[in-house]
Amino acid sequence: MNQLIQSLVDALSAGATLGLAALAIGLVFGVIRLANFAQGEIITASGYSIIFTWQLGWYVAIPIAILIGVILSLLMELGVFSRMRTATPATLLVASFGLSFLLQRVYELLFSNNVQTAPVAPELAQSVDVGGIRIQLLSVATIVIAGVLLFALIQFLNKSIWGLQLQAAAADFRTARLVGIPASRVIGLSFALSGILAAAVAFVSTVQTGAVGPTFGVPIVILALIGAVIGGIDKIYGALAGGFLVGFATSMLASWLPSDMSNFRDAYVFLLVIIVLIIRPSGLLVSGGTVRT
Amino acid sequence: MPSGDLGLVVRGLSVAYAGVPAVRGVDLDVPAGHAIGLIGPNGAGKSSTLLAIMGAIPHQGTVKVNGEDVDGLAPEKVVRRGISLVPEGRHVFAGLSVKDNLRLGGVGRRSQDGSADTLDYVLGLFPILAEFRDRQAGLLSGGQQQQLAIGRALMADPDILMLDEPSLGLSPTAVDTVFDALATIRSAGKAVLVVEQRAEFTVAFCERTYVLHDGTITLTLKPEDATNVDVLTKAYFG
Repeated sequence: MNQLIQSLVDALSAGATLGLAALAIGLVFGVIRLANFAQGEIITASGYSIIFTWQLGWYVAIPIAILIGVILSLLMELGVFSRMRTATPATLLVASFGLSFLLQRVYELLFSNNVQTAPVAPELAQSVDVGGIRIQLLSVATIVIAGVLLFALIQFLNKSIWGLQLQAAAADFRTARLVGIPASRVIGLSFALSGILAAAVAFVSTVQTGAVGPTFGVPIVILALIGAVIGGIDKIYGALAGGFLVGFATSMLASWLPSDMSNFRDAYVFLLVIIVLIIRPSGLLVSGGTVRT
Repeated sequence: MPSGDLGLVVRGLSVAYAGVPAVRGVDLDVPAGHAIGLIGPNGAGKSSTLLAIMGAIPHQGTVKVNGEDVDGLAPEKVVRRGISLVPEGRHVFAGLSVKDNLRLGGVGRRSQDGSADTLDYVLGLFPILAEFRDRQAGLLSGGQQQQLAIGRALMADPDILMLDEPSLGLSPTAVDTVFDALATIRSAGKAVLVVEQRAEFTVAFCERTYVLHDGTITLTLKPEDATNVDVLTKAYFG
């Protein structure tokens, strides 16, 4: 029973992390039809920033990580994707792959191929005893961070006129422009929000590992992309839910698969993904059977 | 601004899709306070004409709104020059509430002054929107969604309101509601350009109706032509 609760808390935490990463991808995809693989490199940049600045105090390191996430995200939009407005989603995806590999090489040049390490919030790596059950503080912190961010984001999306513009653009970009919603504003907003979410994911992941290398964000973004697709990448909350499910399933499989099968954990996750996509090709949370074009 | 400049003036408007012409050198005049119709068979280029005027698709020719050239402007900037489009199929933001759809319509205003008055005007024109203001737009009936789409366009306080097939898929009662509202909007001094399939109805409603055939304006009809079956038949079948 104790092990079940511990693994449930861990799975909720893993789901929350991937949910945030997938939400970042969904926000951008909803507006410009870009599944941004280079989102991983934004996570990496924020991760490096946390490693290098943590000694200055969390109140310095976290705002800097957010700033770097937002700036890099906006630079990607201004420097690359804004110049490809008429490109197809497939072309945009390939461009984001290229950008991802380019930035990984840049990180290698700047920080070497070795991981950079620092004890980031070591107190969160401790476990606490709750009614006889050992729970890692980081898992609880991750769930709280994700909850607070999601609450703030939902309030922003549903209450502010900027958030409504973003939702409108994600639902129907052409009509949004015909109504008078400025395209550049909502696109910039979606990239900025994805940068903030990348910083949050980077924080949780650096606390977990204490080390960041040039490909730090790649495994996160691969699973987040898969999650976003199975949830319904063109629906903001679909991407979030899909990311959560993949993170949750991955963590639960890691806890419950027999040890001689744990090496095949990802194979089981991908098998589940394939089954979901065969049954619901547009995603779990999207009604209808076709993807919007 | 001279009063003669008010309204919409289109000259030599052409649109092509992958090199295939859809609209060929269309000239249109929509003076302030007038209702102008644009009819024609499917594929005549009616919707392309409206989208080109809004800057939503590539085109050639000139488009002037209240005397100002809007060629080359993005749709969101064209809206701020005083012209709004109610698109075919309504395209309300289905996941958002009626109230939020109307708020979004106000984003395209030239000035935020008077937006509360415009909202009062819209809710007076379409009382059902006040009743259902917190309801999700996707849950409204087709007629109610059309009222919302028109209300959303009016929130930008346009001088010229363009509507693409506003009666499409609506019940006769809902069509009456929509056209009663258009008459009120016209009487308030706004220009209306309405694209419709229902030729007789449109010709009777508008001061002037252009007939578009294969991307070219082939006829201009007056309200008295509405009951002339020969003229209407010629309008559609050439």
